[in-house]
Amino acid sequence: MATWTLEGPDKLAFDRVERVLVRIVEGAVSVVGSDDQPVLEVSELEGTPLRVGHEGGALTIDYERPWRPSPLSWLTGRGRRHRAALSLAVPRDCRVELRVVSASVMVGGLHAPVLAKTVSGEITLAGLRGKVEAESVSGPVQASGVTGDLAARTVSGDLTVAEGGGGSVRARTVSGTVTLDLQASGERDIQLSSVSGDLTVRLPEASDLQVRLQSTSGQVASAFEGLEYERTPGRHSARGRLGHGGGRLRATSTSGHVALLRRAPEASL
Amino acid sequence: MSPVFSHGRLRLYLLKLLDESPRHGYDMIRLLEDRFMGLYAPSPGTIYPRLQRLEAEGLVTQSQEGGRKVYQITDAGREELARRRDELDDLEAEISGSVHGLAREIRDEVRGTVRDLKQELKQAAREVRRQQRHENRSRRDRHGDHHRWDWYGDEGLDVRLAEFLDRTSRAVRRVQLTEAQLRECAAILDEAFERIRQTLKDPDQRHRDQ
Repeated sequence: MATWTLEGPDKLAFDRVERVLVRIVEGAVSVVGSDDQPVLEVSELEGTPLRVGHEGGALTIDYERPWRPSPLSWLTGRGRRHRAALSLAVPRDCRVELRVVSASVMVGGLHAPVLAKTVSGEITLAGLRGKVEAESVSGPVQASGVTGDLAARTVSGDLTVAEGGGGSVRARTVSGTVTLDLQASGERDIQLSSVSGDLTVRLPEASDLQVRLQSTSGQVASAFEGLEYERTPGRHSARGRLGHGGGRLRATSTSGHVALLRRAPEASL
Repeated sequence: MSPVFSHGRLRLYLLKLLDESPRHGYDMIRLLEDRFMGLYAPSPGTIYPRLQRLEAEGLVTQSQEGGRKVYQITDAGREELARRRDELDDLEAEISGSVHGLAREIRDEVRGTVRDLKQELKQAAREVRRQQRHENRSRRDRHGDHHRWDWYGDEGLDVRLAEFLDRTSRAVRRVQLTEAQLRECAAILDEAFERIRQTLKDPDQRHRDQ
């Protein structure tokens, strides 16, 4: 196994990378799919040195000792910082796993599964065809051109998907909003839930879905016709079928609004 | 628009692509996608209005070729491109300088797209909700007083229920509830629910009889 200990900005190249695991604290990490040789660029590094390990196609970037917030750090001064900004170019079929605390995360241009977890950082996903799992506490999750299946969980962070594909979506949040702009597809499963955040989904006119929207005290509304509404105290719901009803859409909120929107056909070139 | 192409940089980029050769709209999308290593592909909805705009300003012209539109740069377009050469070089350098630079550009791009989308859908959702409220109201008017909508109306019972919950939980929080008190409160709630259920039965029955 090849290992490096980095103490400042640096650049490393690798022959073969099939899996990447990054565990950092604050700063930024970006992973981009490319056809060139795999490269790691560290553009900023403060405090504790970073450890890089490469073995049998698996690339691991982390700190020697797992980071733990010290309850006495205000007493001992700043303690040692754990700040790093790094960018990776990897083959498009490389699996990626990122676990950070407050760092912002960007992953793009990959076909393989991606896992990204942060506490307070922002997660950005662009052009991903594989399965994606994103988790954050307070940071927002934003995606554009994510066409594979997507699972996202946040506590207060907003989840927004622009130019989404026809894959399944599973999103759970407490107070964040969920905003999805998706393409039509036959077999799919969209499941959204929130406590107080609004849930908004936009679909093209020609969608095939069994729909069930529900909110306890928020308003439920749909731009598609033919849904059946039910309104009683403590339950506002709409259900029905769009097209052939091949897929499934369930959106449930406690106090957030739930809205299903319809996209006009796109301008042709 | 979005930050990668802020200040009309997408326009500039489109002009650059057309300066190389006349192209279809979809070719331009594909070329932009290649440029960004497959990370960013603008939708026709982003490109089309800009091409129209460029055409209106006389910087490009279009012609039909086999049922598809082909765009071509004009002399005025070439002049515009020459005038903004420095800006274009900056953009190129940013994108191809490093993985870091590219990643940052993409992130900014997604941020911009997402912000626009959120705003657009928020507005649309608000509009759909407004229409729905309007429909509910007119449906209620059509069905007269005895219809369910009125009995379960949002401004009536819903609000009272919420108030009840709020007041009760505040009162309960103020004291330390004993086991006996808890049982008694639960019994009162059950009784209240039973009475409400009885009350609701009648109008429904009447409605079905009509």
